[in-house]
Amino acid sequence: MAYTLLTLREASRTIKSGSKTVSLLDDINLTVKEGEFISLMGPSGSGKSTLLNCIGMLDDFTGGSYTFLGEPVHIMKERNRSKLYKEYIGFVFQAYHLIDELTVYENIETPLLYKSIKSPERAALVADMLDRFNIVGKKDLFPIQLSGGQQQLVGIARALIGKPKLILADEPTGNLNSKQSIEIMELFSQLNTEGVTIIQATHSESNAAYGSRIINLLDGKIVPE
Amino acid sequence: MIKNYFKIAWRNLLKNKGFTAINIIGLSLGIGCFIMISMYVIDELSYDRYNDKAERIYRINSDIIFGGTELHMAVSADPMGETLKNEYPEVEQYVRLYASQGAKLIKKGNEFIREEAVVHADSTLFDVFTLPAIIGNTKTALNAPNTVVITETVAKRYFGSPQLAMGEMLETDDNTKTLYKVMAVIEDMPKNSHFHFDFFFPMANVDYNFGNYLSHNFQTYVLLKEGTDYKTFNKNFKYVINKYILPQAAQYLKIDNMDQFEASGNKLDYSLIPITDIHLHSSRDVELEANGNIQYVYIFSAAALFILLIACINFMNLTTARSSGRAKEVGIRKVLGTEKKSLIWQFLTESTLIAVLALLVSLVFVWLSLGWFNDISGKEIVMTSLLSPKFLIFLIALPFIVGILAGIYPAFFLSSFKPISVLKGKLTTGPKKNTLRNFLVVFQFATSIILIVGTIVIYQQIDHIQSANLGFNKDQVLVVSNSGLPRETRTSLKNEIEQLAEVKSASFAGFLPVASSSRADTTFSTESVMTESNGFNMQYWSVDYDYIKTIGMEMKEGRNFSREFGSDSTGLILNETAAKLTGFENPIGEKLYTSDQNYKPIIHTIIGVVKNFNYASLRQNVGALSFKLGENSWETAYRFNSADVSGLLATIESKYKAAAPGMPFKYEFLDEAFDNMYKQERRVGTVAFAFALLAIIIACLGLFGLATYIAEQRTKEIGIRKVLGATVISIVRMLSTDFVKLVMLAFIIAAPISWWFMNQWLQDFAFRIELNWWIFAVTGIAALVIALITLSFQAIRAAIANPVDSLKTE
Repeated sequence: MAYTLLTLREASRTIKSGSKTVSLLDDINLTVKEGEFISLMGPSGSGKSTLLNCIGMLDDFTGGSYTFLGEPVHIMKERNRSKLYKEYIGFVFQAYHLIDELTVYENIETPLLYKSIKSPERAALVADMLDRFNIVGKKDLFPIQLSGGQQQLVGIARALIGKPKLILADEPTGNLNSKQSIEIMELFSQLNTEGVTIIQATHSESNAAYGSRIINLLDGKIVPE
Repeated sequence: MIKNYFKIAWRNLLKNKGFTAINIIGLSLGIGCFIMISMYVIDELSYDRYNDKAERIYRINSDIIFGGTELHMAVSADPMGETLKNEYPEVEQYVRLYASQGAKLIKKGNEFIREEAVVHADSTLFDVFTLPAIIGNTKTALNAPNTVVITETVAKRYFGSPQLAMGEMLETDDNTKTLYKVMAVIEDMPKNSHFHFDFFFPMANVDYNFGNYLSHNFQTYVLLKEGTDYKTFNKNFKYVINKYILPQAAQYLKIDNMDQFEASGNKLDYSLIPITDIHLHSSRDVELEANGNIQYVYIFSAAALFILLIACINFMNLTTARSSGRAKEVGIRKVLGTEKKSLIWQFLTESTLIAVLALLVSLVFVWLSLGWFNDISGKEIVMTSLLSPKFLIFLIALPFIVGILAGIYPAFFLSSFKPISVLKGKLTTGPKKNTLRNFLVVFQFATSIILIVGTIVIYQQIDHIQSANLGFNKDQVLVVSNSGLPRETRTSLKNEIEQLAEVKSASFAGFLPVASSSRADTTFSTESVMTESNGFNMQYWSVDYDYIKTIGMEMKEGRNFSREFGSDSTGLILNETAAKLTGFENPIGEKLYTSDQNYKPIIHTIIGVVKNFNYASLRQNVGALSFKLGENSWETAYRFNSADVSGLLATIESKYKAAAPGMPFKYEFLDEAFDNMYKQERRVGTVAFAFALLAIIIACLGLFGLATYIAEQRTKEIGIRKVLGATVISIVRMLSTDFVKLVMLAFIIAAPISWWFMNQWLQDFAFRIELNWWIFAVTGIAALVIALITLSFQAIRAAIANPVDSLKTE
């Protein structure tokens, strides 16, 4: 029986915009078990990205509770929280967000630098990853020299290098053509079968279909099934 | 079109207020500094040019080497001017100034006022120099004895107005009492003159043994006829020496001809120096006033230019760094058909506009700091000097030069963007490694570091001079002037004050080891007949029994003058240099020969040797010097030991006033007189400090702007890194490393350059510090720390920003 990775109870996020208070997320109740592949769906502005960012601890919920691996994130100090996400969470972005000045190899290596992993071990880990994604030949290229699909591949490799339990992907195929999209989604499925929990935000029904569960968002609320 | 350029330029300036502020402040500091130094340099270069005939006026300089003593003097012998005029038709006129008598006491009502700015001059003074009269005829004013020409200020002070002064009598203390009739009143002397006098007395009233070619006591100026080359004229002096000087010298010196004289290492040489060169190029013995120094003019000009350059570099750096903000505009303009040329013009218009604004701000800076600048530079520059036509043209041209200088590179850089790549959003960062930008940052910091090292070294050297072993004790010595007091009063006053508990000893001390004091030198020989091989020149000071004790000198061997020895009137005490110069193995008891003014022989017996003490500037080594017993009572020195100096001073003043009613009480402390010798160095030190500070502030302003920009540029990267787990510290480090490397490179370049320059400067001093490695270390670390503080400000702001904001996908 898979255990619970994270739980949200009545989680909400509001921001102040001028004198008005705007609710971005409202009354979110969600339990994610290890090994799930969840697709968040909904129109633009429905709160998909915000929910991902909050789960990824880049943003904070302003109300409710958030438990990650049994730890209460909502009352945690900044430093412990950053330790937690460094350890367990990897991000994949729509715009890849690779560092232009670094090569493929160095981009993949970067998260390890912030985990204080020694150089020989880093080299081994990066080499494994390059091997696995079949991009050994491109390791010395700069992002600008790659196609969109290849860049996203590097982005995923970078997200995986830290061996995260959870991958958060915000429109991972938004900038890709359909062939590249399929490749990326196949990759996600494969990773999921290997035990990585994935939450993706997407507009595409076909991409959503790769997931084991679909959650629909509208105006910051989960639409009941 | 131009209007359009201006409109866009203006809106851009308003849009980026932060950048505009940094640009304008940095640039205006640079320009302000440049304007101020220009005013200073122009003032320095303008000396003596107020004379209508400035191009034709020359002073006679004397260079004498005799018996190991070198004399380079601004004075020459009294008959020299007349002789030149008689011998050579090129000499149109000559005038002599005689200031060796020093100050005069001049009576105003019942009080005597001590006037320092007094001189005796030939009646031809006004033919040579341009000193316009307010009233009276200066042509004939000094023809007769007991006449005087005064300046307007003095006329007002003594008589109320120039008109009231005419024909009035001035009473002075010359020969106890001499009256002079005011024949003319002239305008006050211009500030930029190498001498400033308020009273011009006639030469006829000088008590002097005229016709002596061997004594040099007169500043002599000649007016050459139009078209005469003074360098060619200088060759005539050889003839004059042979015809007039040698025959007179032969009377008491066994000398046959000039060749023989020169063969034994001696030299006698005269030359003309253009009057316009005197202020900056002449620092001889017996100058009328301390002159400026061309070296400092060069140093200041260079510093001003460099600061302006640093400010321009800021501008270039900030503008190119900001390029991405303008890239889109450039792309759109190009797509709309704008040519590269007109884009360049547009950007140049913008930079010139900034330079004009900076100029206006800088004028405010100059206006605010001029008083302070005058204080430290000893000038009296006024704001209105900016209004002279030449300066106005310079001021108007300046922003255009600066605008183009600073704007040309950014203009070409910005206008060369490819529209397609810019609009696609590809080219956002500009060139990744901007070599030029890095070079400019290195240049800025290297310059700042050089200036800082210079400042530290100058301060250290001044400090070194002040704490150097002088060979006498300058602390707690009060020197009181006795001029105008009868001899008996001087003695009784001295004895009375010596009774005070705080006063340790007292001495008549007309000669003091500070540059402002009197000097006397004469020629000695080790045998009764002087030849060019046994003769030498040295200082010859009359002192009393308590002099050595009061001034705090030490005997090396032999003894001081003593009241117990009746024969001490012929005794002589040498300093170590002089003892060495005589060549005696054991100088005590040996005899030295000299003669008095009337060539009557004097025989001295050496009774002691005093340890060397510095009596000239520490730029020179200690020269030969001797003490004879005598009473030079122009001044009395008191060594005291008191914490309440002002109380003691008041007591002494009241005794002085009681003994000599109506006489001015003039005093100075020996240590202050000593410090005054290094006023120029201290001024240069202060100015250098101000410049160094300014340079580093401007450089940091630029660095701040650059850091702001770079942080902005790398917002996305910083966001990604933070998402990947980077800490604030690691981000700050990442952002600072590149700049820190540049600053370190700047240090590596600046250290040897500053070492070389400061070593050159120190060569001027006979007593100098060693250049220590720690000066460089401290400067390097200081520059680094300042740069880091500037950088971390922005870096921390960037590092603590929330990555979600910067990574939002558009």
